Amino acid sequence: MSVPVSQMWAVASYVIRQKLAGRKRYPLVLMLEPLFRCNLACAGCGKIQYPAQILRKHLTVEQCLAAVDECGTPVVSIPGGEPLMYPDIGRLVESLVARRKYVYLCTNAILLKERLEAGLFTPSKYLSFSVHLDGLRDEHDEAVCRDGVYVQAVEGMKEALRRGFRVTTNTTLFDGASPLRMREFFDAMMDLGVEGMMISPGYSYSKAPDQEHFLRTQRAHDLFSTMLSNPKKRWRFNQSPLFLQFLMGKREFECTPWGNPTYNVFGWQRPCYLLQEGYAATFKELLETTRWESYGRRSGNEKCRDCMVHCGYEPTAVNHTFASWRGFRDTVAATVAGRF
Amino acid sequence: MTDGATPEGWAPEIGPDVSLEEVVDKAFDYRGNITVVKTDGSETVGYLFNRNRDVPVPFVQMFDVDGAGPHTISYVDIRAIRFTGRDTAAGNSYAAWLRAKEAAKAADHPEKGSGSTPSRGA
Repeated sequence: MSVPVSQMWAVASYVIRQKLAGRKRYPLVLMLEPLFRCNLACAGCGKIQYPAQILRKHLTVEQCLAAVDECGTPVVSIPGGEPLMYPDIGRLVESLVARRKYVYLCTNAILLKERLEAGLFTPSKYLSFSVHLDGLRDEHDEAVCRDGVYVQAVEGMKEALRRGFRVTTNTTLFDGASPLRMREFFDAMMDLGVEGMMISPGYSYSKAPDQEHFLRTQRAHDLFSTMLSNPKKRWRFNQSPLFLQFLMGKREFECTPWGNPTYNVFGWQRPCYLLQEGYAATFKELLETTRWESYGRRSGNEKCRDCMVHCGYEPTAVNHTFASWRGFRDTVAATVAGRF
Repeated sequence: MTDGATPEGWAPEIGPDVSLEEVVDKAFDYRGNITVVKTDGSETVGYLFNRNRDVPVPFVQMFDVDGAGPHTISYVDIRAIRFTGRDTAAGNSYAAWLRAKEAAKAADHPEKGSGSTPSRGA
């Protein structure tokens, strides 16, 4: 089992509370982007292309905590930009842990070892370092457009594990990814001792430098089916098995764009973590004034047509788990059997 | 527009050929600084990050070049928008990276690359 029972219980009880309260739309994971600045310029990333004055900006810890309190999710993911470049990252994480939020600090881990040695963080069941690794050394260094990053990241991960931190990986896959190499990557991560892995196809950001290698739907199904059809028992994934089945083409899901709301220096991003169609001043305004019917595959929106990214579909999978006994049974069966 | 790929340098004349709404949408999608010329003749230079037409008084929001803001400007107060800053999403760092890798291979370099990210638009 790749997610601690306490975390599963926190998420499950939260979802059940939302359902009992009759909430049609509720968030599951807050994507908190305290800054856009990054120490990499990856080919598939559309998050960091801004003028200098925007890259210099960052949220205050108080703004971050107000956003966390406002949307009330049990899980907070901190991407960016590179969150380890955020000057108050230690205080922010400490404050979130004090609120008993499960924090995924999404990092390229270039600075991880240095920040750990500086004593910025304390191990906690509420804190995971979610390290961006797009494959083994050659594949990852190519994806991030810099040699040596894989080795640096692995050093940081080893240091974090040695100090008793939870460490997971998050992997974005693009067209041309080799299923065989990815299986080797899963083995390597398990050998390293990570708690679990997260995988997702990349999203075709209109601002990303590399526009040629994003996966289209059928190719994504083929890739994930080949990669996961005969999973090893030792592989642990830090995500819903129903989402993995969706990636393999075994399930039809619709996007839940409000499931992982995004807050950054511009405000609450409409409609989701990937698309930027405007900003709301409050989470309530985001929920109430966004034209949700314009997003997702069924909407016919071209920007959503090939999207299978976890920020939209993992909340659907989690909701499906708690929507019926069948969903719950399927999730438990896949989790226990370790097959998708 | 000066270039099919980026509106960088574009200074459209708002009128029958191009509406204010179209120019605002372009500015919203643009990843560089712009200059908003207001009807009173004053100018604001900065990054336009938000626009909302679904409200009684449509508006845009900007952070100026010093990062101050957000400054909210109503559509009715905008006379012109010029795309004066560099488009930070233009160029292709991935292509530059591939070129650098190929060059390193061609030179039979023992390392795979320089170890640094090629500069954007290189």
